[in-house]
Amino acid sequence: MPLTELGLTPGTWLLLVGLGGLLAVDGVSFPQIMVSRPLVSATLGGAALGQPGGGLLVGAVLELLSMRHPPYGAAKYPDTGPAGLVAGAAYAAAGAGSIEALVAALIGGWATGWAGSYAGHARRKLNGHLVANQQALAARPARLERLVLGALAVDFGRGALITAGFLLPVTLVAGLAAGLRVAGGGAAFGAAALVTALAASVGAGARTTAPDGRAWAMVLIGALLAASTLWPGP
Amino acid sequence: MKPLPRDMRHAWRRTFAVQSLWNYPTMLGAGLTYALLPLLRRIHAGDPPALEAAVRRHLDSFNAHPYLSAIAVGALARLEFDGVAEDEISRFRTALRGPLGTLGDRTIWAEWRPLCLLIAITLFGVGVRPLVCVLAFLVPYNIGHLWVRLWGFRRGWEHGRGVGRLLREFPLERLTDRLWPVTMFLLGAATVLLGRDIVEAAGPSAERLPLLIVAGLTAVPAFRWPNRFGRLAIGLLLSIPIIWILLALAGWGP
Repeated sequence: MPLTELGLTPGTWLLLVGLGGLLAVDGVSFPQIMVSRPLVSATLGGAALGQPGGGLLVGAVLELLSMRHPPYGAAKYPDTGPAGLVAGAAYAAAGAGSIEALVAALIGGWATGWAGSYAGHARRKLNGHLVANQQALAARPARLERLVLGALAVDFGRGALITAGFLLPVTLVAGLAAGLRVAGGGAAFGAAALVTALAASVGAGARTTAPDGRAWAMVLIGALLAASTLWPGP
Repeated sequence: MKPLPRDMRHAWRRTFAVQSLWNYPTMLGAGLTYALLPLLRRIHAGDPPALEAAVRRHLDSFNAHPYLSAIAVGALARLEFDGVAEDEISRFRTALRGPLGTLGDRTIWAEWRPLCLLIAITLFGVGVRPLVCVLAFLVPYNIGHLWVRLWGFRRGWEHGRGVGRLLREFPLERLTDRLWPVTMFLLGAATVLLGRDIVEAAGPSAERLPLLIVAGLTAVPAFRWPNRFGRLAIGLLLSIPIIWILLALAGWGP
């Protein structure tokens, strides 16, 4: 695909960068209504470039790939807001139709998510410094209220910077990948590897949700029922 | 002085930002204090040293699931209002953090959110419009979310020290405990439906049935060894472009 057809104008880029900041804030700081989940953020990214369905596909795959990284306590987990937004926008910009662009967008989204995670780790350390002097905060509690506003601004800046840093490169790579169609066997390999990765991730992620081994039976029943509707006989 | 309804509303709204100052040494301590401030100011009105002491003790280390922290805000404000001794409040805070963390992680992050997400992904897989799918996740999920915050805050204030008993009867947990088979069923269905979309993106060269069998065979051991297969999943994803480049270099071009 020619890069001029990607549709990522400066205005769209700016909109997505601002949106990336807001989604990053939703992830942890405020208000956690889960617009930061990749299912939502990737759809928003895709919608910004005219392909909400393509964005949703990328978001759903990222959602299942990140299932085994729940945000428990101080655990590190991908920052899914900017990740989904970047991946959804990149796939949509690349035309939302090829396995090559899908793989590029997913890898770009995964990288964005972990970059956001490490930036979030730095933000947690910064917060620790900000609230270290508890005596001073107790004496002037209004300072704590200003610190919260400052922390939200820092988190917004973190998300916006991560989105700004990854959006254009990932979109360009996805656009290039869409233009460089791999051979038939290569495309089949890509689909096989991606579906297998998805299944492995789902199997691993199910362990965080399921109470015991009986869960596997229900996963199997759901899969077989869906498969029976999709793969009808001759 | 008893907090006014507007102080209650103010504090409840602030629970949405309870993780904004999350940090490694005190975790939710600062965010919890931020949410408590409107109530502490009213309770200790006209007594600055008492307010300072209250703020100081709540800045200490605390952790909880962010939604269930509303229970802690309500209950701790009640203890402050009842004039409970400082060491007893500290012990209560310590006793509360474990259950509020594990209950929230188990009920909301591990069960409620995946269930709502998988409903939306399955709807997408059967051809429902993207906007409807996104709303099918956000609306039910946030009904549960807002209910937990409202219920928790109110019950925390009403029950104070007795809030521990309340946690054993957490209604959302009773609901999700019954719904896990649905979540697992949807997980299987959603994975197959997404797999179909991926295969379609690959064009006519990719056969659906062999891919489904390979994927199913991978998912079974992944359930037994989640960490190894979780890493394998990402390794596989990253290997795809490498294999493509090698295929292109070997002359297997289109």
